[in-house]
Amino acid sequence: MTTKGMKSLSARRLGAVATIAFALVATSITTGFAADPSFGKACTTEGVSTGTSSTSLICSVNSAGKLTWTNVRLGQSTGSPVAALKASPGTIEFHHFRPEDKAVFASIIAKFEAANPGTHVNQVIMSSNDYTNLGYAKISVNPKAAVFVTVRGGQFDQFYNGGMMRDISSDRFVRQNVIQSALTPATVGGKIYGVPYQSLFNDPLYNTEMFAAHKWTVPTNWTQLLSFCKTVKAAGIIPFAWPAATRGNAGQIMNSFLMNSAPDVATLTSRIQAIDTGKADLTSDWFTAIANKYKAMNDAGCFPANVTGYNDTVAPADFANGKAAIYPTGTFGMSTVTNLNPAMKGKMKLMSMITVDEKPLYQGITNNTFILSVNKKATSRDQNIARAFISFLTTAAAAQEYAVGTSQHVSIINVNYSANIDLLNTSDIMGKKLLLAPRFLFNNVGTVRNPLEDALIAIGGGADVTKTLADTSKTIKQSLGA
Amino acid sequence: MAFPAVAVYSFLYLYPAIQNLLYATERWDGVTKPEQVGFHNFAHLATDDDLFMKIVGNNIRFTLIVVIFQTAFSLLFATFLLKNTKTTILLRVIYFFPTILSSVSVGLIWTFLYNPNFGFINASFKAIGLDGLALNWLGDTRYSLYAIAVTQVWFHTGQMVIIYVAGLQQIPADLYEAAEVDGASRWQQFKSITWPMALPTTAVVVAYTTIQSFRAFDLVYSMTQGGPLNSSDLIVTSIYNTAFASFKYGYASAQSVVLILVVLFVTWLQRRTLRIDYGVK
Repeated sequence: MTTKGMKSLSARRLGAVATIAFALVATSITTGFAADPSFGKACTTEGVSTGTSSTSLICSVNSAGKLTWTNVRLGQSTGSPVAALKASPGTIEFHHFRPEDKAVFASIIAKFEAANPGTHVNQVIMSSNDYTNLGYAKISVNPKAAVFVTVRGGQFDQFYNGGMMRDISSDRFVRQNVIQSALTPATVGGKIYGVPYQSLFNDPLYNTEMFAAHKWTVPTNWTQLLSFCKTVKAAGIIPFAWPAATRGNAGQIMNSFLMNSAPDVATLTSRIQAIDTGKADLTSDWFTAIANKYKAMNDAGCFPANVTGYNDTVAPADFANGKAAIYPTGTFGMSTVTNLNPAMKGKMKLMSMITVDEKPLYQGITNNTFILSVNKKATSRDQNIARAFISFLTTAAAAQEYAVGTSQHVSIINVNYSANIDLLNTSDIMGKKLLLAPRFLFNNVGTVRNPLEDALIAIGGGADVTKTLADTSKTIKQSLGA
Repeated sequence: MAFPAVAVYSFLYLYPAIQNLLYATERWDGVTKPEQVGFHNFAHLATDDDLFMKIVGNNIRFTLIVVIFQTAFSLLFATFLLKNTKTTILLRVIYFFPTILSSVSVGLIWTFLYNPNFGFINASFKAIGLDGLALNWLGDTRYSLYAIAVTQVWFHTGQMVIIYVAGLQQIPADLYEAAEVDGASRWQQFKSITWPMALPTTAVVVAYTTIQSFRAFDLVYSMTQGGPLNSSDLIVTSIYNTAFASFKYGYASAQSVVLILVVLFVTWLQRRTLRIDYGVK
């Protein structure tokens, strides 16, 4: 038996659904998708993005502090995206350092192989440490390694200088499927030697639910940041779950310290290069000022107790379980967090970590996890299979599968992030002024960057600034002279 | 008759060793053409590399701790596990068990145990009111090396127990019977029979443990990566970083030559100290 009231309720629901559906269809931004109920003419939720085409709209806070749709240019192509190249039969190896991407790549490879009968791509996966240390030695003597990846900076230079990279500038999929601004790290002398594939943002993640519950606002300058740490610590919560015991991820925070430390990017680059080549010391005023900020954060209680023993197993767990407000690594840390606690899905956003009080030059950091390249030393047949495989990866469908499957953004146009709420929520960073991660401007990783980061970690853990920098500076100078 | 063995040895051991010596006289980044620099790498190591000297010091301290405790514990356990009963055989298996674990797993397990904020070790100290002993084991330059040394001892003692058991079982039982008839205590039996008769085995255990300690890599790499501030860096981790993170293959080869010399010297010193005579004429 149905009552009149219930009928009325059903009718109301139907009416509401129809109204929402009409609003979604009628709005000017529905070209992307209509998965999020907050889409409408007004942008009400920061981070919501249409995220589907080369000119996407992202809801972000403008200079007046109001939410507004920002037009973000994700791509700039001279023509429409092109289909993948066809591969001739044969078998190649794809060398990379992303064991966590194995399943997604396997699925994409299966589709590539189905589209190209007789063609096989075998993944050869090393840990990132092993790849850094042994990748070149192994790949340079293996012509079957027709597709390989490199990290922007030193590793890319190593493979490039070793004559390992084929020029793919003239391939249409490079020009038309890839966000052109993202190609910079793979460009040398105007020629393109790879496709920077996975886009990431090395900015701290924060727990939006926790911020809302405590009515905290994201600090927008250095003074606010230190004050924020004191407030959060007083609430019994770790402000920054900084994994200082794991150098690789502990070093990410250095990007934020560097990004606004110089008047312009050219000065920043020259200062970094001066340290990297031994022309400047860590005891320079510029670097000492950065080190002092690590100390200031430690003094303000930003980091957990015994932070130098706090590793990257514990840090994401603390963040995922609500013991920490901020996990200062980057978008690549989101999947770890949601794996640890699925309830964190949709509750993370990126913050601009501003470490100056004046108007910041940059609001965030971006980088590419890896650059896909074709091995110039492979046979021409294998090189063509490699080009076809990379072109397949740059198609929107494959890139979307990769992005959603790995919870990472990609440098490919026309990718729809709506299937992954965390990618969607963090897309607003693309509307901000970003700097390519300056940490990777240090080319001497073993000789300079590692000891330098160790020094900053020690200082962040309470070590004396002057002594630590002087000692490390001496070590670096001696190592560079060896 | 010995030719095949010499040939295999030359190919697999002698040739790489000589090759390493040659690399040690070069400056080579693994990509560009090697440059011959004579003894520059050795001179730099000896006169202008404070970090390497610190690391050699780390390794000597690490080796001393591991050799002393690993030898003492393994001898102690072996004396209790000498008889072939079901219980002692089971206990030998249990003591040997850590040896079959992967070193990275051991490193991870101990990293959790040492965690300063929730690790079992600090939690235990706090539970019994010894809060002052709840330290930042792996994150403090003062303790990291010792913390890894403890893990190394735990990891390899079982292996040495087996060597000791095999050695101690060779001691004739009638010596102990005669000592008992003469009224010797357990300690006197140990001092006058077990220790001198076990000396050749001790020499093997000490030499093996020394070499193992100078070659220690995986525990350090998985637990601290040599940090903080190189406080737990050992010679082999330094060689690895020099070669594969700094891409200075020539310099790393020179470091490995120094490693060989240090191990040779320490082993020679041990043999002199233990006065081992293998009856070679």
